Amino acid sequence: MRFLRLGPAGMRGEIGTGLTPLLAIDFASAMGSYLDGGRIAIASDTRFSSPMLRHAVISALLSCGTEVLDAGIAPAPLLHFITPYLKADGAMLLGAGHHPAGWNAIVPLSSNGAYLNSVQLQELFDIYHGRRYKTAAWNEMGKVSEMPPSIFEDYLDALCSKLNVEAISSRHFKVIADFCNGPGSALSESFAARLGLELIPINNIFSGIIPHDPEPRPRSSVQAQSIMKPLNADIAFVFNSDMSRTAIVTNSGETLSEEYTFPLVADHFLSSSPHGTGVVTNWCTTKTLDDIVSKHHGKLYKTKVGQAFIIDRMLEKSAKLAGDGSGSVALGDFTKGFDSFMVMGLALEAMAVRKCSSAGLAAELPRYHIVKKKINCPSAHAYGLLRNMKTQLKDAAVSDEDGFRFDWQDGWVHLRASATEPVVRMIAEWRTKDEAEDRALEIQGILERLVSS
Amino acid sequence: MNKIHNLKVGVSGVRGIVGDTFTPSLVAAFAASYGEYVGGGRVIVGRDTRPSGPMIEHAVIAGLVSVGCQPILAGIIPTPTIQIAVDEYHANGAIAITASHNTAEWNALKFINSSGIFFNETEAAELLDVYNQPDNLFVKEQDYRSVRAIDDAFELHQKRIFRNINVEAIRKARFKIAVDCCNGVGALYARPFLEELGCEVISIFDEADGNFRRRPEPVPQNLSELCRVVRENGCAAGFAQDPDGDRIALIKGNGKAAGEQYSIVLAAEHVLSKTPGNVVVNIQTTKAVEDVAAKYGCKVFYSTVGEINVTRQMLAVNSIIGGEGSSGGVIWPAVHPCRDSFAAMALFLEMMALRSESIDTILDKLPQYHSKTLKFPCSAFKSQQIIRHLRAKYAQHNPVTIDGIRINFDDAWILVRSSNTEPLMRLTTEARSISKAEKLAADFSKEISALLTEK
Repeated sequence: MRFLRLGPAGMRGEIGTGLTPLLAIDFASAMGSYLDGGRIAIASDTRFSSPMLRHAVISALLSCGTEVLDAGIAPAPLLHFITPYLKADGAMLLGAGHHPAGWNAIVPLSSNGAYLNSVQLQELFDIYHGRRYKTAAWNEMGKVSEMPPSIFEDYLDALCSKLNVEAISSRHFKVIADFCNGPGSALSESFAARLGLELIPINNIFSGIIPHDPEPRPRSSVQAQSIMKPLNADIAFVFNSDMSRTAIVTNSGETLSEEYTFPLVADHFLSSSPHGTGVVTNWCTTKTLDDIVSKHHGKLYKTKVGQAFIIDRMLEKSAKLAGDGSGSVALGDFTKGFDSFMVMGLALEAMAVRKCSSAGLAAELPRYHIVKKKINCPSAHAYGLLRNMKTQLKDAAVSDEDGFRFDWQDGWVHLRASATEPVVRMIAEWRTKDEAEDRALEIQGILERLVSS
Repeated sequence: MNKIHNLKVGVSGVRGIVGDTFTPSLVAAFAASYGEYVGGGRVIVGRDTRPSGPMIEHAVIAGLVSVGCQPILAGIIPTPTIQIAVDEYHANGAIAITASHNTAEWNALKFINSSGIFFNETEAAELLDVYNQPDNLFVKEQDYRSVRAIDDAFELHQKRIFRNINVEAIRKARFKIAVDCCNGVGALYARPFLEELGCEVISIFDEADGNFRRRPEPVPQNLSELCRVVRENGCAAGFAQDPDGDRIALIKGNGKAAGEQYSIVLAAEHVLSKTPGNVVVNIQTTKAVEDVAAKYGCKVFYSTVGEINVTRQMLAVNSIIGGEGSSGGVIWPAVHPCRDSFAAMALFLEMMALRSESIDTILDKLPQYHSKTLKFPCSAFKSQQIIRHLRAKYAQHNPVTIDGIRINFDDAWILVRSSNTEPLMRLTTEARSISKAEKLAADFSKEISALLTEK
């Protein structure tokens, strides 16, 4: 088990065993050096260890002569927004998002508010690994600047300008929002007021306690789901702790798989977009999305797993929508990052404009069945073994941009060596549960024979 | 020419130049090691006004939190106040972020134990041992504690001082006092403190921005502005602080500097006149202290230079007043066993009030000595060699060798020692006349310079 990861999503690790103040200082010093001092925005989540990261990062940035724009406790979408809005040279997001309690992360963002792309990241890592950082003299220390107090409102103004506020407000939706005790709840009142919502926030205390698995999945939706019927709510949203991932519970009480968040939003967004509108996702996202994009004559691009790759492709292709099967969506004309407030807005707009319940929206989505498995595999050999799978599954179309994806007419399987554990992660999707489970078991058998031979 | 390295890790803490050796990473690692060494719990954190203070404070907090400590932030605060806050808040210790009298490009961490006194050599060595391990014992997130801020630390400090002096007598006297805060922590606290004692206050260098508009050591050559203000406004006295408010120097009503050596002389004169007891001073202190102690039949003990060395000796011999002549340090254990410019100001004011005499008159009655100090940039090893050479050469004079070499003559002495805080060797001479002090300085300076140029 490894406790620290340095990759496309910045520096992530288990606090104490992996992520320490010393590493955080080095990483932030590299960022301050990369931007030659400059102005860097920061925001942190509510976890117990986030103040430690915040102090470490501020110290390092000040020593580089950086002006630090401190947004305090704020969700990721806000940082994606304010970085270009305040003309910062970059940003650092301090928070663990979907990681379990005990973990935390530092994510560097570019001046456009997006995750650094792979080339920028390489430049940053080269400075980090060289360990020679910019150090400002005593009288050229950076300083911490307060945010303009209107920043949350400015963000919501910009967000609402992309939505049909009138249509949404006229419906007076009753909405349950589970903020996972993350920073998102700070914006909930103003968001609800703007959209005429009766918003019932749950897990909305900045306690640092993660109230359930922070990955929005059916099993983390239990609390929201249990109060849907008694409160007669129109829809519930369940977020990870930094407001980048969303799962939906419908008014019928169905906890939709997080895989369906993006297709549901895309179905609405593309219905009023011209043909050929670009959509970006990764190689592990449900076939439902392929069906929706082709229904609306959009253009679907697939890339590696990870926000950095998806957003970079969105920028490259001038795509209008990007997202993945973890419940993440970015709107190309808004910010350059995944944004759960936008997901909420678009889902509510879909219900309002199409005069449809959340269960009705869900019913329109073609459904597949996904099976996810972990297969033990000594990690040093994982890639070679996966490559051998190509000769075992000859009848499939293969993509190897990120792990290996094998596509058949009626389903697909994706195999990828985990970067954190000595396992291969398998995702298989077919039309029915039986088919998906049968094919997953079959392919697992082939792989396990390769592992043991 | 050897490069003079500017990072110093020693009994006085960790000290270096910002933008060079004193980096956030070094600071966080030392703070984490300190937190580990004191076993977690509450740790007071305070700093002076230096512009690098916030950068260092953030790193200290990150380091402390990562090993399970609860930092208690006192903000910009005098060093003695930090030491007293350890007591008041039952903390496991404190980290003071200040390079005290050093110029603005320097900063430092000073480590304070659970009794509110600086680490001694053993504690410093044990801390360094923790620091030098391959890794710190970082705790997991579940064992993190929140950061707490306090704003009453100075109030508690002031209360302790007021409990030990005749506040009413001072208030009645309505002294007019000029105070020079050196753009340090005193800029926030000296005026209200003196006003609380009924003084009419004129303050200078009182912007608390760490941009020191005079050189930070409170020695006469840096205090000409204060002297002018005292003279032109007819003040009863002038007080000069250093950036972190532990050192004090006094200006007489006639606008002449008393000299930093006379701070402890005056404090001893006043305290011993009320209650006889043991006195402790460092080896670099004027002989006038011995003369004053003799007058009251009290004994003087000498310690090596460095506040902690004086403090330890004071605690060992149950001393009631002590200090460091060389630094303008007054230590009055009735308040707390630490150098404290605020306690010293209160003592001076009380003495003036109770004796109904001007500070000029009081000082004029005390034995007069003159001293001269010269600095030689020099590595620690080179100064050790030179000191060893001098010890051998002057062995027949029975030199005092607890710290460097002090040679006592009749009514005069010289001291050569290596600085604890800077890559320097210092020569101090003292005599009854300026010419004698200067003659001694010139003679020994010549000798040292010759030794320095030798291979």
